[in-house]
Amino acid sequence: MKGRMSIAAMALGALAVAGCGSSGTSGTGSASGGSKACVASIGFEGPITGPVAVLGTEQLHFAELALAMDNQANKTKISLVQGDTQLQPAQATTVTQQFTSNSKILAEVGPAGSQEVTAVGPLFGRAGVAFISGSATNAALTTGPNPTFFRVVSKDSVQGPQDANYIVNKLHPKALMIVDDQESYSTGLVAVMTPIFKAAGIKVDHESVPQTTTDFSSLVSKVTAATSVVVLPWQVAANAQQFGRDLAQQHKKALIFGTDGLFSPGTFTISGSYVSSFGPDITAIPADAAIASAAKTKYGKFGTFGPPVFAATHVIDEAISSVCKAGQTPSRSNVLAAIKKTNEPTSILGQPITFDSHGDLINGKFFLFKIDAKGNYQLIPSS
Amino acid sequence: MDFFVQELVNGLTTGALYALVALGFSMVYGVLKLLNFAHGDLYMVGAFVGYFVIQWFGGPTGLAIPVPVLLVIMFVLAAALVGALGVAIERFAYRPLRDAPRIAPLITAIGISFFLENSVLLLFGGQTRVYNTPDFISLSSGISIGPLNIDTVQIMVLVLGAALMIGLQLLVNRTKLGKQMRAVSADREAAEMLGISVNLTIAATFFLGSALAGVAGVMAGLMFNQVTNLIGFIAGLKAFTAAVVGGIGSIPGAMLGGLLIGIAESFITGYISSTYTNLFVFAILIVVMLVRPSGLLGRAQLQKV
Repeated sequence: MKGRMSIAAMALGALAVAGCGSSGTSGTGSASGGSKACVASIGFEGPITGPVAVLGTEQLHFAELALAMDNQANKTKISLVQGDTQLQPAQATTVTQQFTSNSKILAEVGPAGSQEVTAVGPLFGRAGVAFISGSATNAALTTGPNPTFFRVVSKDSVQGPQDANYIVNKLHPKALMIVDDQESYSTGLVAVMTPIFKAAGIKVDHESVPQTTTDFSSLVSKVTAATSVVVLPWQVAANAQQFGRDLAQQHKKALIFGTDGLFSPGTFTISGSYVSSFGPDITAIPADAAIASAAKTKYGKFGTFGPPVFAATHVIDEAISSVCKAGQTPSRSNVLAAIKKTNEPTSILGQPITFDSHGDLINGKFFLFKIDAKGNYQLIPSS
Repeated sequence: MDFFVQELVNGLTTGALYALVALGFSMVYGVLKLLNFAHGDLYMVGAFVGYFVIQWFGGPTGLAIPVPVLLVIMFVLAAALVGALGVAIERFAYRPLRDAPRIAPLITAIGISFFLENSVLLLFGGQTRVYNTPDFISLSSGISIGPLNIDTVQIMVLVLGAALMIGLQLLVNRTKLGKQMRAVSADREAAEMLGISVNLTIAATFFLGSALAGVAGVMAGLMFNQVTNLIGFIAGLKAFTAAVVGGIGSIPGAMLGGLLIGIAESFITGYISSTYTNLFVFAILIVVMLVRPSGLLGRAQLQKV
């Protein structure tokens, strides 16, 4: 905790250099520990443009912030190389090929989406590059095909049952609609949640729309009077906002229950909706006050997508720093080994960060929020 | 019955948007035999013009002018600017390639599409812009009969869409410009020999087609709220499909194709499942192509040998 507090205290000072930490490749710098420069580059993959750019830019900002703070604290010269994936596996693959062929890049933060991890995991595995996602939650990602993958958030096999049981036990629907967006993140959650609804005797209408859809009027017409909940495990908050407007336009009373991607204050504001998220609201965590304040001052309002990327970047920064402190030159293999040994007693996420042998966060949690009449997200008990 | 009518209205509204974009596709193909793949991006630019008009007049919650005036400015400005953009694209990208092999302007069209997408990205950023239509046009306004709900924006899209389609049909069939467009479409060289200014006619065609795409972009922004630099791709694809189903080159065909695709999407989502919407829509397209390779209202081209 003490270490974390000291990092937090440096947040404001780090603001001055936060903007200098990104883009470009590694530079030369002063020594860590007096004699040898601890210089490295790490990649960042995220949807910096496209329909979920609001989430991707938030992730990028928190990666830059973490990097600036860690460089200052550890006297390292780690730089960030940006890659825009637009949340598209094909785009992520191109960026990954660029990163893996750049020998200066020792590890990576991202990508954001599970579908992207599925696409790029084997490439990173072959190149021996560790990559840590702050938002990819599909349970299958850590079952073998991605040997160098880690995540600082929990997985769908935890979130799905937790959310489904909350809906069954607290919202008591007789019928519900669940709509996937045809991406592996979304279909994975639907696959976990649907059997729980059916076992509880709830009539389930499973629908599926591409993530590029913006017209939900026909789908909303299918929401019957008995359908009291619509579950949207989506990544694009603006789509859910439009879905909510279509519900209102057709005078339908069903509540929206969304996940992760819908946590976007200012974008998804449908009153009475629920959103479960892998990330906490760090503005409500006293120990994170300095980081939250620094982020808000420099970048404005933020949601739950940035802080896990801060945590992921911090894990990589600490791994590189530990390699340097051991007198070694950072390489992909020794940074990967150091990441595997990560044991942070606390983090920006309000929980310890330790990985199991598959790269999953041990004892990861999910958080549940309800949107009030003013569009604010209120943390509520998730069980 | 209410459900049927609701889905019909939903389908007609979406179909009207497809039809407006498809019209431009079809008009350009009619006169130049060019598949203008940048057409969907003109729709995107129109949506951005509408968004910035809202912002210029105080934003959705603080409008400095009455809503009807705002809407008129949005539509007129989008039509004028996007129409002018279409003319500029024709002048500088397509006209120099008018006599080149067909593949050259086709590739150029794809290039223009990426150019427009990335220019908007560079100028305005990659984040989603939101119209927030319900902040200035209430969702509860419109027609509500039992469970059937048709809001003001849907009514506006249907009425304006129908008016534009009828107006275009009259323009093409009853005016001198329309006659010139049909002449250029039938035989460019013969039209030129008869004293028709081919360049001017083609430019007018691009202006009209692009203006319709601009108007459709504003309509889409008002209906679906979201605007990004990438929205033109899907819209362009659907419009292209509509134009082909209706019979590419045929103006009534583009209208029919757009409405059919919109209604088919709506009914398949409503009565079968959203999961299979695209599967069924494109299955219909394949059946139409097998039965009528020239499209529903298209005419087979006779080849002289």
